[in-house]
Amino acid sequence: MAASSALKKEPYESENLVAVKKEQYVPVAADFKLKGKTADDFVDTNFASQNFWKEVVARFRRKKSAVFGLIFVLVITFFAFVGPVMNEYTYSGQNLELKNLAPRIPVIEYTGFFDGHENIKTTTGTKTVNYYFEKKLPDTFYWFGSDNFGRDIWTRTWSGAQVSLIIAVAAAIIDMIIGMSYGLISGYFGGKVDMVMQRILEIANGIPRLVIVTLLLLVFKPGMITIIVALMLTEWVGMSRIARAEMLKLKEQEFVLASRTLGASNLHIIFSEVLPNIIGPIITQVMFSIPTAIFTEAFLSFVGLGIPVPRCSLGSLISEGFNSFTTHPYQIIPPIVVMALLMLSFNLVADGLREALDPKLKEM
Amino acid sequence: MKKKLLSVVLASTLALSMIGCGSSAVNGVTESDNTGAGSSDTAQAGGATGAGNSSSDLNIMLETPVESLDPQQATDGTSFEVIADYTDGLMQMDADGQAVYAVAESVDVSDDGLTYTFHLREDANWSNGEAVTAADFVFAWQRAVDPEIASEYSYMLSDIGQIVNAQDIIDGTKDKSELGVTAVDDKTLEVKLNVPVSYFLSLMYFPTFYPVNQAFFESCADTFATSPETTLSNGAFILDDYQPAATTIHLSKNPDYYGADTVKLAGLNYQVIQDSQQALMSYQSGDLDTTLVNGEQVDQVKDDPAFTAIGAGYMWYISPNIQGVEELQNLNIRYAFTMALNREAITADVLKDGSAPTYTAVPMDFAAGPDGSDFSADQEKFSDVCRFDADAALEYWNKGLEELGVSEITITMIHDADDAPIKVAQVVKEQLETTLPGLTVELQQMPKKERVQRMQDGDFELGLTRWGPDYADPMTYLGMWVTNNSNNYGFWSNSEYDAIIAECTTGETAMDAEARWAALYDAEKIVMDEAVIFPLYTQCNAELISTSVSGIEFHPVALNRVYKNATKN
Amino acid sequence: MKKYVLKRVVTAIFTLLAITLILFILMQLMPGSPFNDEKLNESQKAALYAKYGLDKPIVIQFFHYVINMFKGDLGVSYKISKNTPITQLIASRLPISIGVGFAAVMIGAVVGLLLGLLAAFKRDTVWDTLATIISVIGVSVPSYVFALALSYQFGFKLGWFPMLFSAKDVVGSSVLPSVSLSMFTMASIARFTRAEMIEVLGSDYMLLAESKGLSGNKLVFSHALRNALIPIITVLAPLVVDLMTGSLVVEKIFSIPGVGSLLVNAIQSNDYNVVIALSFIYSAMYIGIMLVVDILYGIIDPRIRVAKEGD
Repeated sequence: MAASSALKKEPYESENLVAVKKEQYVPVAADFKLKGKTADDFVDTNFASQNFWKEVVARFRRKKSAVFGLIFVLVITFFAFVGPVMNEYTYSGQNLELKNLAPRIPVIEYTGFFDGHENIKTTTGTKTVNYYFEKKLPDTFYWFGSDNFGRDIWTRTWSGAQVSLIIAVAAAIIDMIIGMSYGLISGYFGGKVDMVMQRILEIANGIPRLVIVTLLLLVFKPGMITIIVALMLTEWVGMSRIARAEMLKLKEQEFVLASRTLGASNLHIIFSEVLPNIIGPIITQVMFSIPTAIFTEAFLSFVGLGIPVPRCSLGSLISEGFNSFTTHPYQIIPPIVVMALLMLSFNLVADGLREALDPKLKEM
Repeated sequence: MKKKLLSVVLASTLALSMIGCGSSAVNGVTESDNTGAGSSDTAQAGGATGAGNSSSDLNIMLETPVESLDPQQATDGTSFEVIADYTDGLMQMDADGQAVYAVAESVDVSDDGLTYTFHLREDANWSNGEAVTAADFVFAWQRAVDPEIASEYSYMLSDIGQIVNAQDIIDGTKDKSELGVTAVDDKTLEVKLNVPVSYFLSLMYFPTFYPVNQAFFESCADTFATSPETTLSNGAFILDDYQPAATTIHLSKNPDYYGADTVKLAGLNYQVIQDSQQALMSYQSGDLDTTLVNGEQVDQVKDDPAFTAIGAGYMWYISPNIQGVEELQNLNIRYAFTMALNREAITADVLKDGSAPTYTAVPMDFAAGPDGSDFSADQEKFSDVCRFDADAALEYWNKGLEELGVSEITITMIHDADDAPIKVAQVVKEQLETTLPGLTVELQQMPKKERVQRMQDGDFELGLTRWGPDYADPMTYLGMWVTNNSNNYGFWSNSEYDAIIAECTTGETAMDAEARWAALYDAEKIVMDEAVIFPLYTQCNAELISTSVSGIEFHPVALNRVYKNATKN
Repeated sequence: MKKYVLKRVVTAIFTLLAITLILFILMQLMPGSPFNDEKLNESQKAALYAKYGLDKPIVIQFFHYVINMFKGDLGVSYKISKNTPITQLIASRLPISIGVGFAAVMIGAVVGLLLGLLAAFKRDTVWDTLATIISVIGVSVPSYVFALALSYQFGFKLGWFPMLFSAKDVVGSSVLPSVSLSMFTMASIARFTRAEMIEVLGSDYMLLAESKGLSGNKLVFSHALRNALIPIITVLAPLVVDLMTGSLVVEKIFSIPGVGSLLVNAIQSNDYNVVIALSFIYSAMYIGIMLVVDILYGIIDPRIRVAKEGD
């Protein structure tokens, strides 16, 4: 057990590196006076981390699914910002004459798909209609169809993706910073500090999220910032718990003890020694908090407290399409597919990053 | 693709022709074994009976759970509907919404219109065998005004019913025993009013006026009307499955009801379903005989013979804050708004549930005049000031802007965070912004409670709101816009209007039905000429009622659905 | 250990009191009141406030509430089920929510764990991909979409399960809601198990154990799984509570008479007493779960217990 812990000290130092270091380095008496930020210390860290990140990138690139995921995240992000301006429609522009039109795309329409026809399953039987013909609209194209106000679903889907991405990423990053610091500090100091911090956390988290979020949205003007703040105030708890659990696992280990013996400051130990060792679980948790943030927003939309109309998010688009699910399913499919793809990609990227960040996995 | 499509169409046509019209269980009737209640779809498709609940139970969908079965505490339509299933008041509604005798068998009205003497039926009994007496009504009505009970509908007795001393008792200055209602003997009830109330008899079907047996009430202690054991029936059905906030409620026919011969249904089976998809699927699989349909589902059911639109009574309108917002004090701006609204498009393209565009301050189809005609049948009578006319709107708009000396206006509209208001608000925003250049409408959605509070506090600019009639008289609407009424959200004030309303309520005109009717028109005209509100539409509910069911009576006022004369084959 | 548990229980009670106070303050900040119907006039509102004691200062309301709470009286509902004691409302509903929630957690945890283990042991094979796809779908689609899809396919089209909750067929009618609810838990657990197992399997002590000649079940269960379980339990605990709150949308769709739908209705109608009571119960459950998790930590990883008892 002792041996394994020692090896765990600097997980990114492969055996080669240790060997190289030993050759170059001649111990002198001054070493034992090391107190944190000496020049030697900096050299070591830089040397190690440079190679570490290079390796991470290399390992990440070897993982095909992760690269695939990253490409998808980038593609969706691209469309989320460019998609809404790719045609003449706007996300809020209504045309009640042209409501509930099925998807129709130029050229592809000749294949029989996306030609604007739809099968409506009525209680009196299924009928196939093409409103583009019935309403004599030879030059009208809604790539993903139009919704019940005659708004373009393509434009709305991407502008919804944009809103969801902004909310989720902002909330996840803020969560990470707050939750991680909180958990690490709480776990590291233990005792009274941990006790007080955990009580505060329990109180903060003990109130159902719905109640807090709802109250915040009722008290403040509903909008994107309010939603981000509400998510931020409730989502950091999970992150801090992970960080604390990891800290509890690591803080008794020898490399922490060694650092402390060498006189490193608490902050140094927490953020420079322990943090790099738990980056894997933290990143996994960030990737978990992105869908959680999107889901919470979607849930808020479902109970009528989401992003205010006529703006939309993926969640509010799903809730809007919910009632048309059996009548015009094409209205709910694009936001669901984009949301699922977004999550899939974030997860694949997370997996790839996680394995790339954790060199032990490489040895398998 | 084409081939597959064809086969699907063929298959469904085939299925349709095999099952035949009239059956709603077209889609997805399967051979697989369903358990329990689920099997009623096969029963229906095959025309057979049996399985699960008794075959002639009517299966009804409710949108919201019951809030209270205490007739003096209940305020919502769902609660009223269920209470009326098992309780009869002095009067009831016939199919046309007219008041007809129920527990009362006759009534004498004094010449001055201030004293009503009700004679009760001899055969009206509670389900525990005791007779329904005048004392039961006295007890119940005293509860309704008792400040300790704090009934939310106490104003039905005071403001609307004008029963002697009701207001003083509510305010706590008189004891509840001084209420102007007395039991002359077991079967005679005498009611004294402050002023003549022309629609007093039609109030008697309102559940707030339903009787409560005092001895039984006291035997239940605090648990009155919270379970089948703590309710007493004197109506067509008996409650046999209920608990507070339940999602399922069951009632069975009351064999001892005085009108039991005419009650055809064996029972009522209520199911609360808050999701419209689930409701429609349950209907299609035969678990429900009647269900509400969301506007988005109308495309799916509009050719179904079971599909129908039922008037819900509510009128939706936009209330401008006339006192609080400088721009809205300008009459031209208000005209511009009301004429820029395309109400036809809102109802036909967005709501799609049969709701009717409304251009009057009193909605149609709930208040019939002395000659039996609808007060608001003529929707064009104010077309000079309220119609859809984009050009005129623009003209008024420019004139208004000029008077105000501005070129742009940004205005906020608050609305409820519910399905229909969210949709309507978005269209209204689009219509106003498209027609009136320089106008920006910002939407703010919030829970209804908060929206009402903000409007009553005057903390709003435009508010999308609704009003449901409490009784079948235009006054239920027109009474709102008198000076300082808490529902006069715009804090509009007009002394001429106040005078007409006062005259029609307590003055001499109140006694003369014809003259009163004419005066009410005058009052409505003032509201419309001043554009105090922008009426939008009168709400209808799109419903599917199985073709095997007939005789359900729908009303926009008080009791939305009455089942005692319904039949199910 | 006993002393530790006792200490935790005492602090839990104070935490709950603090939460109750915070909820009281939050309720005061909430715009509107339970009696904000357009049909009510000012004198009626005043009468209603007086009836329920809402006209008194908040501090007095709070102490009044806490004293009653210790007597087992959570007050009455103001709006959604008028004048019904909340204890009565909750008593009939809580078991249903817990039943559906428990079924969902069980399905989610067991299936998720199995999927995660499968994926970890058969890493980079078709099994891994399959498990990943299932878990990705689970975390990618909101539970109400699952609810709708499952109810359309298995309730409506195939008719295998009832679409709506029924007291007559609790088990059968709980299947669809439980499965819809379990998807997120299942997927989260599967992903986390996979990640943790891969880390544990790659750790040096596993290498050591393997090189000592350990193999098969013993290696997996007493070494790998045990170490992987700590973070999994950390994730599971909040998921359980989330699931209870999250169930409210699913409860609404399947018409389940549970506490989740009650909470949403209560918040939307400003039914203060119900909101506070339900929040209090959620909080109590959450704190209870955290307590259990801490104790489980001690059992699984004695190092943590030692560290804690040393405090």
